[in-house]
Amino acid sequence: MTHIDQVPTPGAPRPVEIGVKPGTKRTNPFARVFDELVRFAQSRSLFMLHYCTGCGAVELPPAMTSRFDMERLGIQPMVSPRQADILLITGYVSVKTLKRVILTYEQMNSPKYVIGICSCTVNGGMYWQSYATAKKLNDYMPVDIYIAGCMPRPEAVIEGLRGLIENIRTGRADAWKDYYRRYDHYLGNQQRLFGADWQTPTDVIAEARHYDLFGPATLGAHTALLEQHQRPLEALEMRIEIPELMRRRSRSDQGGTAQ
Amino acid sequence: MDWLSAVSLDGLAAVDFRWLGLVLELILMPLIAFVVGLGLVLMLRKIAARLQRRVGPPLLQPLWDIIKLHAKETQTSHGLIHEIGIVMAIGGYVAAVTLLPVPGMNGLAAQGGLIALLYMTMIPSLGLALGVGQCANPNGSIGISRALTAMLAYDVPMVIVIFGVAFHFGSLNLVYLIAAQQAGGIATWGIVQMPLLALAGLFALQGMLGKQPFEIYVAPAEIATGPMVEMGGKFLGGLFVMQCFQLYTAGVLYVALFLGGGENWLTFLFKVFVVTAIPMTIAMVFPRYRTEDMVRLFWKWPTMIGLLGIAFVMN
Amino acid sequence: MATSPTTVVDQLLAGLHLPDGFDAVAGVIREFLDQVTNSAIWTRYGQQSLEWLIGMNPVDRLFMLSALTLLLMLLLGRLRSAGVLAVLLYGAQFAALLSTDTLFGAPLAAAVRITVADQSLHWSYDALSWFFAMITIGTGFVTAWYAAGSWMRRYREAGRSARAFHVALALNCFGMLLLVGSADLLSLFLGWELVSWASFLLMALVGGPAAQAALKYLAYAISGAMLILGAIALIYGISGSFEYDAVVAAIRSMTDAQVWTLLLLLGGGFAVKLGLLPFHLWQAAAYAEAPGAGSVFLGAISARMGLFGIIVFIVGMIGVSRLMTLEIPYTFMSSRELIAWIAALTIIVPTYTALQQHDARYLLAWHGIGQGGYMLLGLMVGDAVGSAGGLLHCFNYAITQAALLMAVFAVVHRTGTADLNQLGGLVTRMPLTFLVLLFGIISLAGLPPMAGFVSKWMVYRSLITEGMPLLFVAAVVGTLGTILSVYKLIHNIFLGQLRVEHQEVAEAPLSMLIPMLGLSALIFLAGFIPGPALSWVAQVQGQLGLPVVPWVLGGIVDPRGGLDMIWLVGILMAGFGVGALVFYGFGGRSRRVHQLDNYAGGHFLTADVHYQYSDNFYAGLMHLIGPWYRGSFRWLERSLAATLDLVSFGAEGLYRLAQPTLLMLAAAVAMLAWVL
Repeated sequence: MTHIDQVPTPGAPRPVEIGVKPGTKRTNPFARVFDELVRFAQSRSLFMLHYCTGCGAVELPPAMTSRFDMERLGIQPMVSPRQADILLITGYVSVKTLKRVILTYEQMNSPKYVIGICSCTVNGGMYWQSYATAKKLNDYMPVDIYIAGCMPRPEAVIEGLRGLIENIRTGRADAWKDYYRRYDHYLGNQQRLFGADWQTPTDVIAEARHYDLFGPATLGAHTALLEQHQRPLEALEMRIEIPELMRRRSRSDQGGTAQ
Repeated sequence: MDWLSAVSLDGLAAVDFRWLGLVLELILMPLIAFVVGLGLVLMLRKIAARLQRRVGPPLLQPLWDIIKLHAKETQTSHGLIHEIGIVMAIGGYVAAVTLLPVPGMNGLAAQGGLIALLYMTMIPSLGLALGVGQCANPNGSIGISRALTAMLAYDVPMVIVIFGVAFHFGSLNLVYLIAAQQAGGIATWGIVQMPLLALAGLFALQGMLGKQPFEIYVAPAEIATGPMVEMGGKFLGGLFVMQCFQLYTAGVLYVALFLGGGENWLTFLFKVFVVTAIPMTIAMVFPRYRTEDMVRLFWKWPTMIGLLGIAFVMN
Repeated sequence: MATSPTTVVDQLLAGLHLPDGFDAVAGVIREFLDQVTNSAIWTRYGQQSLEWLIGMNPVDRLFMLSALTLLLMLLLGRLRSAGVLAVLLYGAQFAALLSTDTLFGAPLAAAVRITVADQSLHWSYDALSWFFAMITIGTGFVTAWYAAGSWMRRYREAGRSARAFHVALALNCFGMLLLVGSADLLSLFLGWELVSWASFLLMALVGGPAAQAALKYLAYAISGAMLILGAIALIYGISGSFEYDAVVAAIRSMTDAQVWTLLLLLGGGFAVKLGLLPFHLWQAAAYAEAPGAGSVFLGAISARMGLFGIIVFIVGMIGVSRLMTLEIPYTFMSSRELIAWIAALTIIVPTYTALQQHDARYLLAWHGIGQGGYMLLGLMVGDAVGSAGGLLHCFNYAITQAALLMAVFAVVHRTGTADLNQLGGLVTRMPLTFLVLLFGIISLAGLPPMAGFVSKWMVYRSLITEGMPLLFVAAVVGTLGTILSVYKLIHNIFLGQLRVEHQEVAEAPLSMLIPMLGLSALIFLAGFIPGPALSWVAQVQGQLGLPVVPWVLGGIVDPRGGLDMIWLVGILMAGFGVGALVFYGFGGRSRRVHQLDNYAGGHFLTADVHYQYSDNFYAGLMHLIGPWYRGSFRWLERSLAATLDLVSFGAEGLYRLAQPTLLMLAAAVAMLAWVL
């Protein structure tokens, strides 16, 4: 673990222009209809990964089962981050847990939404004075909706989810893009908490490049620090390397990840 | 305009349009299978919800799920085989449903027959297994190992049933099987003539659909949905499409073997939905069996019932 | 010039009965040959030797070329280019086999005859011989090619003799060609012994565990040969001649008890080679431990010689209808059902033994034993489709097993291990080898669209139409076990996590890849268009007096349920097209991620901890069926061996104790008295 002084302080988060403004529409009418359809489908089908960190988790079973039945709204629980759309953080997040939460968040496929349930995710709640608890969830990942309360009743949970659905349908729920565009900011906060050698298995910067989600604040001092010690994370590309046909190529330029 | 009609009629007479009909069937059959499959998925979820005193998902929920998954903006692939696996999983079923006769359309049923159909439906499973393997996640591999073991379990009664039906009607051709069953009304249906085999077949169907108590290979809390663990976005979407086809294939196969196929679309769809509803209704009141218990169960009861049924059929 | 290479090629192509579309290919070959014939060396030496070759009896020519291969390998096997020479020679043998035209034409006797003590040994080729010789030489050809380049270099570097390998391979081929061409009992026995000893040579080449396995094989092979010798003696006692015609007549006049004896002797003898239960224990180790290319040859064709013997004697001479009349006392079974059940058990037991293997070579070798059961089962059903399925499976299995073993040994060549727990994730490094293995396992498991599906389908279908439910279930259970085990094979080698030590592994060398890819193409084609192979099988059936399968280009026509692979494969490919459209066309962009970017319940994966599931792959199944693996056969074998040991130990003690010469004399007298 590196000392905390090695991590540059993030300072005040710079205001960053996010490319797509909320609710903007494409001009081509067919594309608009298509976008509407996709957004509607996205809003009516939400797979939920509940990371049951704290006491708030106990409010979810009633929200899912016969009394309130989330499936009416197209919301159902899923198991692995790859399958999920919503990451539900249901309570206080200790530093150790937060690492896993970030790993899980980065493994989800976008568009992805984070919902912080319970006051602990908003400001640490009753764990405000704890040395081991992350106070504000949205310092470490963009949060779409907070559902405050200690704990919020299932009605409140459903109400919050309805709000998220409305946001998705109108195209306003794109906080996930912020993670790519201001990665340096989030990474900085993470590094301050976990140390300078903090690294997740997901290569967020390469992902931003691949999907054209690169923003002006994706890179910065913190990502530079990350690059210093980062284990390479390129995918193992399939390569057909028949020695007889490859003799002219030198071994050095063949890439591949050495770990 | 005498000459025009003469020319066009002559032209039409000269060209054989039967192939066009076949092509149309080959396009329509997978499409119908998909749409009916969406309905079956909805029905299953509705049954599950109603048995748990819930309202359940809205009408187009299966469709929204598939659209949403395909429209994901970032998608995680673990390599070419991961992708090819999903392509094989969908493609295998698209091909397999053309071997299943439906009212008015026989497709390629005469070219394949029962055994070819049975083995054709293993292609999607193989594709899925390959795709999951490439994900490099042991949860997935454990899931596949359990799913293949499950296949070993339920296919034993399944092939006994197929043997019995094929032997009873003296043919492997599904078109012929259906015609023979429809010849004398309900009295010549497979379920009336071979009730024991029909019972064994229903058992096998439960395993084939991977419904409780036989869904150890998914086991969400234990191996994180097994084969689906690394499937997100269009990968999972492809599996949802595959599930539609799978339900349809299983339901239609049972209807074709035991319930006289479909005289018309109305009765056909009614039978398919009823048949598929049975396993789901049973599923919702069961916990899950361990792999070895499942194998033991399948190799004991349905196999014995099936063999007894064959003994009756052959004498 | 009456005979030039061009005319030879023309004749060969005419003998192949190719469709019209191949004219263009023939044109290219002809043009090339014209250039060759215009060269000076050709006009001086080539022309003469060619004319001499053309003038020969085609069967003699085949034997001559095969013997020449053996001779040249003895003389030149040490040379670096011997491998290439061997490939050319096997190619020439193949051409010579085609030129006999005994498949579609009339049977042809060889001019060579050997007369020993008033009994003449002679050879003759017919459709059955052609069929098996074609598989043999084809396997020899691809094996030689596989071994010709990088593989042989590595083999030499390990300090092993390239000449010994080439000679062993050529001797195997030669022996098999003699065996399948045998036209009387003596030449059959000669060929049989030659094949037995040649395979021993190939097995024992590398010493160590291979030599041990080979010695075990030898013990089995000698007892098998004794049984066959006994059968020959029995037949000779009745017929007074070794000629097949006389043998057929003699068998017809035999009493049931005599046929039973003959059946047990012959069946036992050939079953040893085929690896039928309970004589299967030697095979897996002997084939798996042989050097790579040798293992390919042995695995693909060697054991089929036992099946050849069974086809000639039990199916051809005794006949399935006679088998059905031979009732086993106090049971409802006839001898045909007995053999069919032995075949079914041979499918199941070795297949499920394969499921437990950790070594890819052993896994495939055990499957080889199991697949032999399908061939025999199809033949024992005896109807048109079933027997055709059994025969066709010989061909389909040979190309499948050769491709599979080649792929596995290519992995061994690159990584140095065949241990399924030490591999994984190699698909990114050896994608073409993966493809070959994939085609192979689909075919071995008998799934469409590969070759193995067609032959297995035919066996299943015949079992259904002939009303044999339990055998049918047994056959399917074998297939399901195969699916389980081959998925484990491909998963543990090529899928899952790539190990750190295999990061820099390269694709298999070209010299090994070309025959592998060629075979996979053949596997696909033989599944897509089974017509040509079925036409060969139909000829063989006609010659054996079996009902002939109603084949067409795409499979089998039958109103009670036929099979048209062209349609099935076509629709499957179309289906894959639709699948690709749905997946790639309607789905969002994807990005490939590193294998450590993976779900582990929130755990951070690192390269030093292996994240792979390979050992005890079917744990759940093994909880149930694990205790069923009691090793009863192994126990039987061991107790037999122990008994023999004890007897020989006792005899040795006796000899030492008393007057050895006297005892020897007594033993000899007793022996003579018993024989006379």
